Amino acid sequence: MNARSLSFRLVAWYAGVLTAVFVLLGLLTFFFLRHYLEANLLDNQTRRARQIAGTLVAHVRRDSEASMASEVESLYSPQINDRFIRISRADGQVVYASGAPRDEAFDPARVAPLAGDFFQSSTRKVSLPGGVLLIAAVPATGSDGTLYRVEVGTSGAQAEDTLAQVLLMLAVGLPVAVAVAIAGGFVLVRRALEPVERMALKAEEITQHSLSERLPVVESGDELERLSVSLNHMIARLEDAIRGSKQFVADASHELRTPLTVMRGELESLVQNGRLERDVREALGSVLEEVGRLGEIVESLFALSRLDAGETSGGWQRLDLAELAATTAGQMSLLATDKEISLSCDSAAAVTVEGDRARLKQVIVNLLDNAIKYTPRGGHIALSVRREGAWAVLEVTDDGIGIPPDALPHVFKRFFRADSSRSREPGGAGLGLSIVKSICQAHGAEVEVRSAAGKGSTFRVRHPLATEAARS
Amino acid sequence: MRILLVEDEKKLSELVARALRQESYAVDVADDGTRGWELAETYDYDLIVLDLMLPGIPGEELLRRVRRRNQQVPILILTARDATQEKVSNFEAGADDYLTKPFAFAELVMRVKALLRRGPVARASVLRVADLELDRLTQQVRRAGKRIELTPKEYALLEYLASSPGRVFSRTMIIEHVWDQSFEGLTNIVDVYVRHLRAKVDDPFPLKLIRTVRGVGYGLGAAPDA
Repeated sequence: MNARSLSFRLVAWYAGVLTAVFVLLGLLTFFFLRHYLEANLLDNQTRRARQIAGTLVAHVRRDSEASMASEVESLYSPQINDRFIRISRADGQVVYASGAPRDEAFDPARVAPLAGDFFQSSTRKVSLPGGVLLIAAVPATGSDGTLYRVEVGTSGAQAEDTLAQVLLMLAVGLPVAVAVAIAGGFVLVRRALEPVERMALKAEEITQHSLSERLPVVESGDELERLSVSLNHMIARLEDAIRGSKQFVADASHELRTPLTVMRGELESLVQNGRLERDVREALGSVLEEVGRLGEIVESLFALSRLDAGETSGGWQRLDLAELAATTAGQMSLLATDKEISLSCDSAAAVTVEGDRARLKQVIVNLLDNAIKYTPRGGHIALSVRREGAWAVLEVTDDGIGIPPDALPHVFKRFFRADSSRSREPGGAGLGLSIVKSICQAHGAEVEVRSAAGKGSTFRVRHPLATEAARS
Repeated sequence: MRILLVEDEKKLSELVARALRQESYAVDVADDGTRGWELAETYDYDLIVLDLMLPGIPGEELLRRVRRRNQQVPILILTARDATQEKVSNFEAGADDYLTKPFAFAELVMRVKALLRRGPVARASVLRVADLELDRLTQQVRRAGKRIELTPKEYALLEYLASSPGRVFSRTMIIEHVWDQSFEGLTNIVDVYVRHLRAKVDDPFPLKLIRTVRGVGYGLGAAPDA
């Protein structure tokens, strides 16, 4: 999957944010739970210590300390309940200390005496080999005024077990949750972006010649619907603009015809007027030549605008492109011979295509004319027609002056000339190749050019074979 | 011979009328469709030259009305549009010929003449221009009694030029008559053929018959007014 695609980025962001949130939530839960569990345990210990302080230690005298110790032992049985109980006097003398618990989770002898203010209740965590001991310490006063400290503790192992389980749950659950979220997110994004994909595919299909088509409108009421509607409006405006400009060319060339006819008529009668001086007639003849050229440009523009409008001249028919090429080359051979150019035509087998005969002939004529124009005396031009898969391929190769690389992408553009000195021959308006391109487009054919400056050019037309011929 | 010209472009109609009058035709000019219809209804014309884009009654409508009234009169259409479909529908509506602007006036005159002498016209089988002889049946060419070998295209070109000696033919006219539509715009092929033709027909002889009129085209034999 493309790492820059919108769906990938959306899912990646979504997954990233979600993972961060989950991890944060997990950590919070963990630390809160740990705090809660410990606080709870310590609370219990404090309460128990107070209980011992209030019920037992409050009645003790110095001489009855031993009996209190046995009372604590029998009432709380700390070894059985995994508890730590220690009662000490202010002078540090331990009055009672519980023994090791049955499971020997900790060793009570290793719990250091508590330093610090003797009258202050406190809690602490003592790390011992084998686990943590949570201990609460409470001050107490005996009936004879002796000061004692009661310490009650319990192992933190239980809380740690719980926490370990929570951690395990988080460690397993989090990746699963993220994976499910990514999968869900991916499906959602895919579904949301699917209309975009469809619009993109359709938009790629729409060319200058199929502007009447529209993108599919997603009737979802969301931003995508708006987008598709907006894009369709844009295509409509584009269609209008292009239609307008085509119409303009058609109208303009149409409007130019009548004045051109008048100019030509006036000039023709003047040129043939024997009473005028010879040099005046020569000058008028030169003007007339230019009028003729203007007329040809107007004709070409008109032809192009008709091709753009998708108009056909004589209707389509099945024809043999090889035969058409051979005939046309024969008709034009004199132009080549005149420049001492050898023109060969290689089109042995029949290559049947469907198309407008006059227009396809125009393609061959224009390509050959172009080749003859740009091939110096003594050059060679080869015309060939052959099949290539489902295509008829027509090639015109010359060994003429070629086309400079920077001009190559523009040769099919209207009024383009590779360089101004190159073509000042009469009749060259820079429209011949664009007419070739327009005719090819109207036939569903492609035309391309390869060229090396100084070595010659090859123009290649790929035309679909006629359907039956394609099957055989 | 009386011709009705319906054309709203004043300059163009003057030119066309002048060109036709030079050929000794009587020409009535109508500058809109309505006037054209009035004239066409009133007089019996031998030929109508009709522009399609007209104020008043449009050209297509006028064409249909005239045809309903008179089956015989030849109608030559002048138009600035040349979409083939349109051409076909106008021929169906009864047009006899069709000229697309900008046209050469020589072409217009030729077509008018052709329309006026339609029907079985006995064509001379041998054309003669000065000492040049073309036999249309055998397609043989002789000059001063000497046989000249021509290719079929060269012969077609020479025959076309010889069909109206003294007249100048534009390259476009020559292309359209001797070649076909797809050569349109490639008028240089005419120049090459004329040069070849000259080498065979004119070069060996002192009197040059093939004439070049700069900007216009080629003709055979001396100009009528020069």
